[in-house]
Amino acid sequence: MASAAAVEHHHGPPPANRSSRVEPQLLGMLLFIISEIMVFGAFFTAYFFIRVVNGAEWPAQGTELPKLIAGVNTAILLSSSVTVHWALESAKKGNRFGLQAGITTTLLLGATFLFIQVNEYVHIGFAPQDHAQGSIFYGLTGLHGAHVFIGLTLLAFTTLRAFRGHFTPEEHRGVEVPGIYWHFVDVMWVIVYTTIYII
Amino acid sequence: MTHSSVMRVPGLVRGAWATLLGIAVSAALTVAIRAAYGYDPLFDGEAITIVSLVTAPLFFLVGIGAFSEWFYWAGGKPTRPEDHSSHGAHSWKDYFKVNTDHKVIGIQYVVTSFFFMLVGGLLAMMVRAELAAPGSQFVDSNAYNGLFSVHASLMIFLFIIPVFAGLANYVLPLMIGAPDMAFPRLNALSFWMLPVAGTMMTLSFFAPGGSFATGWTAYAPLSTEVPLGQMFFTVGVQFAGASSIATALNFLVTIITMRAPGMSFWRMPLLVWANFSTSLLVVIATPFIAASQFFVLLDYGLGFNFFVPEDSGDVLMYQHVFWFYSHPAVYIMMLPGFGIVSEILAVKARKPVFGYRMMAFSLLAIVLLGFTVWAHHMFVSGMQSWIRVPMMVTTAIIAVPTGIKIFSWLATLWRGVLNVDTPMLWALGFLTMFTLGGISGVMLAMIPLTIHVSDTYFIVAHIHYVLFGGSLFTIFAGVYYWFPKMTGRMFDQTLGKVHFWLTFVAFNATFAPMHLIGVQGMPRRVADYPEQFATWNLVISLASFVLGLSTLIFVYNMVASWRGGPRAGSNPWRALTLEWQVSSPPPIFNFDAVPTVVGGPYEYGVPGAVHGVFKPAGHPAEAEPAPQEGRARQPAGAVAAGSTDREQ
Repeated sequence: MASAAAVEHHHGPPPANRSSRVEPQLLGMLLFIISEIMVFGAFFTAYFFIRVVNGAEWPAQGTELPKLIAGVNTAILLSSSVTVHWALESAKKGNRFGLQAGITTTLLLGATFLFIQVNEYVHIGFAPQDHAQGSIFYGLTGLHGAHVFIGLTLLAFTTLRAFRGHFTPEEHRGVEVPGIYWHFVDVMWVIVYTTIYII
Repeated sequence: MTHSSVMRVPGLVRGAWATLLGIAVSAALTVAIRAAYGYDPLFDGEAITIVSLVTAPLFFLVGIGAFSEWFYWAGGKPTRPEDHSSHGAHSWKDYFKVNTDHKVIGIQYVVTSFFFMLVGGLLAMMVRAELAAPGSQFVDSNAYNGLFSVHASLMIFLFIIPVFAGLANYVLPLMIGAPDMAFPRLNALSFWMLPVAGTMMTLSFFAPGGSFATGWTAYAPLSTEVPLGQMFFTVGVQFAGASSIATALNFLVTIITMRAPGMSFWRMPLLVWANFSTSLLVVIATPFIAASQFFVLLDYGLGFNFFVPEDSGDVLMYQHVFWFYSHPAVYIMMLPGFGIVSEILAVKARKPVFGYRMMAFSLLAIVLLGFTVWAHHMFVSGMQSWIRVPMMVTTAIIAVPTGIKIFSWLATLWRGVLNVDTPMLWALGFLTMFTLGGISGVMLAMIPLTIHVSDTYFIVAHIHYVLFGGSLFTIFAGVYYWFPKMTGRMFDQTLGKVHFWLTFVAFNATFAPMHLIGVQGMPRRVADYPEQFATWNLVISLASFVLGLSTLIFVYNMVASWRGGPRAGSNPWRALTLEWQVSSPPPIFNFDAVPTVVGGPYEYGVPGAVHGVFKPAGHPAEAEPAPQEGRARQPAGAVAAGSTDREQ
């Protein structure tokens, strides 16, 4: 190959020119979040068609949604957004204890949210197979739950690395990028909670 | 390499046994869950297949090593900079491994997509063989439905969409002066999801009850009540879609953050603009088809009620969600082709692209308008009738930016000295055929006509004029155009021209009569038809066989030229864009030093115009990026004439 000669006096590519102030990793995550928002958008479209266009009773006849428990759960998830921000700020300041405590608390809060969610499924008294309202309820909350799980997985990697001494005031993208995803998961939950439980 | 190490090293062997392991794990998981819920029977082949379809590909991807680096990172080990050991291909075997080099991935993409194009083409030949005469020839009606469904799905999800991604993968980083894509490992993963999706769709023929037979649209509730083969589509589309989203994200980040110094948005080649627009469409729209297939999967596999009207489900919701992706998808399948044609017409006419900025703006306008027209696919679906007129209007409006492009291309050709070689022939063929397809598209926007020709061969004619005469012609143009760059060899121009003329004539003989019989009412997606259409269908079938055979010329030309064609110089077309200013094939990291862009990409025939300047060969990479004196600063004419064969 013509490139054989190039390999010999190159150990890597020339550094790419940075044509934007935005970090590639950050931009990638933002674009990924846009596509995630669209996945939720499609599920909300289903919700819209079944509840608004067809005017199906909400929640389905004879069922009740546990607004209060879900509300407490919302508070738990929202507070985890604060703790992940604390972790990032600590990483930026080089405060290792704050980083470790913040990220661990976030992980635990997220896991608690997921646990309460599953517990809610067990006690809610209807199944997705019962009616379309149930399908939408489980579909949307389940989709969100899956995203919480993805977020927790990412945070677990970050936690592991935080305890192994990674992340410095200069290099903390590994906290920042999963953190942005986590904020997205939280904001999305507020929308899901509002449309499914409150309205 | 010892036997046991072949099993453990990332690669196809490990991928194969990982797939089997995935199926075993899925089976165990399914049985365990069924036991926990007390279902009977415990061992349900259908349930195991569905779970395997989702799980086994993930095992395969881990097996071939698509996730190795990420596992390393997740394990909390110190970050190691990319060692580039997996860059470049030194033998054909390297193309069967996970590779992070955008040029290798580009070729992997293109070859894989053409493989599935040949499979899909074979299915089309079988469709035409069945339709050659009224009555039943070779297959029963259900098998026939399977043939055209898999044909369409492969052509759309495994050929046209990914082949454009493949071509852009190869040339886009070169064009903007980047050493690679922004996320090389994600790039590799995106590629490897494709063969998974394609294999899955093709394997559906072996499913009990036959392949999926609901068309590529897979309308619910039909798709939730058919045999198991449907799931091979439902899950296969998820992988193709994920691949498409990941690549689009990668393109966007690459274009935004990795352009060479001086490469402002208004100096980007139109191919880059086209892929920028396409990627926006993919990132925003593709999640909708993913969701629509999630609904089908949940209804089919777990008994959800999204599409069960008795339980308050909504059948039309499927079509809304599906077309909210699938209408933008027709632009996903067309905009990159617009980019390719803009490149070729400017180079071959030796003229700047007419209305460069309007060309870029019209791409963005198509992106925007593309999201406002989806329900024109549903005029006869029984949706609320008030949606129809707004959709008709927006559909007619979207012809405006497309028209701007057509007229700009014509103005580019105007008074140019045309070099009508193979890529140019395909580009000109595209221009004529796509315009015809576009015109029948505007006709179809009109509600009364749509109601008349809905589900007839008029639709088939229209879709093939835009996707075959439009997209595929640009794909051929692009493959011929960049073949010298990709392989370092020149293809046989005579065979290329024969390929074009044979395809062009056979294409029109195949699809033009379909307009006629469509208006007369011949239904599509039915294996049989009334006696009155027999003559035309025989003509169409015969022409389609010629069309099929013409592809073999292309395949022969590509394979033979790659193996033993004459060496192509670095810039056989005397083009200005950056990918032609490096050797053919380009060096492993594209550029010794990132070039500097000082002018527009299409200044052909403009005295003193320069697009990119290179530092002298061998200049240390860490030098400042400003344009240097020396060999690289050639007079513009020299670059445009292609006389500076830069040895890297």
